[in-house]
Amino acid sequence: MSLNINGKELQTVADPAMPLLWLLRDVLNMTGTKYGCGVAVCGACTVKVDGLAVRSCVMPVSTVVGKRIQTIEALGTPAKPHALQLAWIAEQVPQCGYCQSGMLMAASALLDKTPKPTDADIDAAMTNICRCGTYQRIRLAIKRAAGVPVKQVKS
Amino acid sequence: MKRRTLLLSGLGAVGALVVGWGALPARSRLGSGKLWPLDKTDTSIALNGWIKITPDGGVVLAMARSEMGQGVHTALAMLVAEELDVPLSRVSLVQAGSDAIYGNVAMLVFSLPFHPTEMGEGDKQAATRIRLSQWMVGKVARELGIHVTGGSSSVADAWEPLRLAAATARASLLGAASLEWKLPVAELTVKNGVISHTSGPSAHYGQFAKYAAATPPGNVSLKARKDWMLIGQSAPRKDVPAKVNGTGMFGMDVRLPGMLYAAVRLCPMLGGSPGAINANAALAMPGALRLVPLQAWAGSTAGFALIGKTWWQAQQAAQAVQVEWQQRPAGALDSRVIEKELRVSLAQEPGHVFYEQGDVTAAESAAARTLEATYSAPYLAHATLEPMNCTAQVSGGKVSIWVPTQVPQMAAAVAARVAGVAIEDVKVTVTLLGGGFGRRLEVDFVAQAVRVAMDSGGQPVQLVWSREEDMTHDFYRPMAVATMRASIDKQGVANSLTIQSAGEAISPRWFERAATALRGPLEMSDKTTAEGLFDLPYAFAHQKMSHVATRKFVPVGYWRSVGHSQNAFFSECFVDELALTAGKDPLAFRRALLRDAPRYMAVLDLAAAKAGWGAALPPGQARGMALHESFGSIVAQVAVVSLEGNLPRVHRVVCAIDCGTIVNPGIVAQQMEGAVVFALSAALYGRIDIEDGVVQQKNFPQYGLLKLAQSPQVETYFVSSQAAPGGVGEPGVPPLAPAVANALYVLTGKRQRALPLAG
Repeated sequence: MSLNINGKELQTVADPAMPLLWLLRDVLNMTGTKYGCGVAVCGACTVKVDGLAVRSCVMPVSTVVGKRIQTIEALGTPAKPHALQLAWIAEQVPQCGYCQSGMLMAASALLDKTPKPTDADIDAAMTNICRCGTYQRIRLAIKRAAGVPVKQVKS
Repeated sequence: MKRRTLLLSGLGAVGALVVGWGALPARSRLGSGKLWPLDKTDTSIALNGWIKITPDGGVVLAMARSEMGQGVHTALAMLVAEELDVPLSRVSLVQAGSDAIYGNVAMLVFSLPFHPTEMGEGDKQAATRIRLSQWMVGKVARELGIHVTGGSSSVADAWEPLRLAAATARASLLGAASLEWKLPVAELTVKNGVISHTSGPSAHYGQFAKYAAATPPGNVSLKARKDWMLIGQSAPRKDVPAKVNGTGMFGMDVRLPGMLYAAVRLCPMLGGSPGAINANAALAMPGALRLVPLQAWAGSTAGFALIGKTWWQAQQAAQAVQVEWQQRPAGALDSRVIEKELRVSLAQEPGHVFYEQGDVTAAESAAARTLEATYSAPYLAHATLEPMNCTAQVSGGKVSIWVPTQVPQMAAAVAARVAGVAIEDVKVTVTLLGGGFGRRLEVDFVAQAVRVAMDSGGQPVQLVWSREEDMTHDFYRPMAVATMRASIDKQGVANSLTIQSAGEAISPRWFERAATALRGPLEMSDKTTAEGLFDLPYAFAHQKMSHVATRKFVPVGYWRSVGHSQNAFFSECFVDELALTAGKDPLAFRRALLRDAPRYMAVLDLAAAKAGWGAALPPGQARGMALHESFGSIVAQVAVVSLEGNLPRVHRVVCAIDCGTIVNPGIVAQQMEGAVVFALSAALYGRIDIEDGVVQQKNFPQYGLLKLAQSPQVETYFVSSQAAPGGVGEPGVPPLAPAVANALYVLTGKRQRALPLAG
C-alpha cells in the first residue's frame, strides 16, 4: 500500500485492517499520536485525513490509501510552530499532556474550516477527552490562535 | 580561617535554619556528589546530591519526582533557580539515583491523623505531642527514603532541602570565586548565573564548578522572601513545549531496537483466574508470537499476556484466545452486596475513634432537635488517559524497565522479585506520566512486563493494557458510607456532631502489595479513608468521629484526594443540611462555627465574596458552597448550577485557596481548574459497579467524563500566606461535589445523599 503521511509518500506492507493509529505508532514509530480508548470516543488518536479530523484508532489503513494524512509531527516545525502550538504555550494549556496531540489536531481541523470560531463552534468541534481538565485553557488557546477576542475574567 | 572552621561555621548557619521537623532532615538530605549515577561522558561537576554545574554554567537538578501533569518538574526547578540566581531555562533535569536523600519525608509526616485544633497554639500539650510525633515519623521517613510522588507533597517536601542544596552550591561557587579572585565573598554578586565584582572580574558558574566542589560553602543562608525573583511568579512550565509537538516521551512512546509488544487479558472476574487456555488459533494469527501466563502479581488479577510484533496484532490475537475463566474461590464480588454490608458495619461495629471531644450522647439527649442522614459514594476508576503500560528488557541477569510510575523504587523492587535478581541489577527509567491520580502508585503492570520480558529471548517488550483492561482492573476508590448526626440545643445552637463511616482500608493493602517491606507494622486504623471526617474545623462543642475499616477484597487504591474525595461530600452536604434545618444561611452558619479557625474563615470569605454570595442570579440558577482542607491546603468553592432537563449544568466555579507560600500561581490555578473538572466528572457520572465479580463499566462511553462543552468556567483566587507550602494537586477535588450538590438542593428541594448526582 502507498500512503501519504505528512507530505511524504511511503510504501507499507501492513495488514490493511490495521488501524492507522497502530501503523503510525508501532510500524512507523511516530508516537506523537496517542492511544486512549480504541473506540473513537476520547480522541487522543486524532489526525487529519484530507483536512478533516478523524479518530485513527478505528480507521483501517486500507481506507486512507491515496489520502493526505497529517499528524502532530507535521503540525508545525521547531523553527515555525503552528499558531495553535504557540497559543497552547502562551495559555499554558497542557498538564499531563497525553491528550494534547489529539486536541491540537482537532483544533487545527476546526480552524481550517472555521477560521473565527464561536464558543458554540468550539463546543461542537472539540469533543476529545482531557482527563486533567484543561478545557478552559484549550478554549482560550483556540481563540488566541484564531485572533478571536476573549471576554476577560479577573482571576 | 581554617577550612575546617569554615565548614563548621557554614553548618552552624545552616543549623540556624532548623525549625521543627522539616529542617532537621533538610541538612541531612544534602547528600554528596557521589550519589549521581556514574556517567563517564558527563562533563558537569556535582556539588552535592542535588546540584551539578555544566561547563557552560548551566544547572542540572537531580529529579526524584514524577511529572504527571501537576507541574512538579517546573516547581522544583524554580526553587533551585531562585537560590542559585539562574534563569529557569538554565536548569535541566536528570532522573535522580536511588539514595534515601531523595525520599519523600513530607508525605509520611502529612499522613499522621491529627485534628486541626490540636495543631493550633491553644493546646500546648497537644502541640508538643504532635511535633514529637512528626519529628519521629520524619526521622523514620528520612531513613526509609521512599521515592514517591503522591499526597500532593512534592513541593512541601522539597521546600527546605532543595533550596538548601541550591544555596549551599551557590555558597561554594562564590567561595571558589572569592579564593580565585582574592576578593571577599561579601562583595561578590550573582546575576543570571554570572558572578561578578564591581572592580571588574566576571565569570559564569561553569568557571568555578571544579574548585567549588572542593570548597566548603561557608555561611549558607536562604534568600529572604523579599528578594525572591522567581518564587511566586507564574513561570511557564518546562514540560509544555514537548507536549504541543508530539515529542513528549510517555511510557507508551518508548521505542527500542527489536522491541516487541504485549497485550494483556486478565480474568474479567476480579480475583479470578484462567482455567483451560486454548491459544492455537490465536498464535496462528499474523504477528502473534507467544502467550505468557500471568499470576496475580502485586495485587492484580491473574490472566495472560500475548506477545506480538505490533500491539494491535498482539491485542487481536489475545482477544482470539479461548479461556475458561474461573471465579475467585471465595465467591463473586458484588458492589450492591458490599454496600449493604457496609451499612450493617455502620450500624453494628464501633469502629476506631479518630477524634472525640465533649459528650455527644449527653448533647443529643438534651437536644431540642437532632438531624441524622446517611451518605454514600461508589467505587471509582482512575482512568488515566495513558493506559497502564511498562517496557521491560531482561537479559544477562539484568533488568531494565521504562515506566510511567509514581514509585520507581517499588517498581524496581517488584521487577527484582519477579526476575529473581538483586534490586541493584534493575535499572528504572521514569518517563512522563499520561496522568497518575494515584493509579501509578501501583506496580502490577511492572511485574507483568518483567514476567513477559523473561520469555521474549532478551528482546525488550512493551506491555500495554487496553482501555477495557485498564478500566476493569483498576485499584478503585473504595465505596464508602457514613452516618452523620447533629444536635441543635434549646438556644438554637448546633452543638454536637457525630460521624460514623465505613469503607475498605487502602493503606494496609497497598503496603502488602507494593511496599512489601513495610507491611504488617503499618496495619493500623486506616487514616486514608477516614481523612476529611475526623479533622473538620467546625467548633461543635461535642464531637465524635469513628471509622470502620473493612476488607471486601475489591482491589482498592489511592484516588486523587483519597478519603477526602468522598468525605468532603458527606461532611459539607451535611453541614448545609444542618444550616438549613437551623434556618441559617449556609455561609453565616459556617462562619459561626469557624470562630476558632481563622485560616478557614478567610478562604471561605474570599470565595463567597468573589462569587457574589447572596446576590441575585438569573432565574433557574443557584449557588452552593463547600469548604475543605486536605494535604495542608484549604479550598473553598462556590458552584453556580442550573438544570437542563433533569441534568445538572455547572456554569461557574469560584475557587479560593490557601496553600501557604505559592511557588507558581499559574500552576496552582491549573491544578484548581483541572481538579474541578476531574471532580465534576466523578460527582455527576462516576461509578464503578461490580456484578458477578465483573466491573460493568468497560470504556469511556460507560464511564462518563466531562468534555469541553460541559466544563464550567473556573476562577481561582489566592489567600496570601507566608506559611510553608501545602499541596495543590489534590485539594481542589474534595469541595466540588458538595458545592454542586448544595446548589442542586436549592434548585430542587431534594437532598441527594448518594453519588453520582446524575444517576
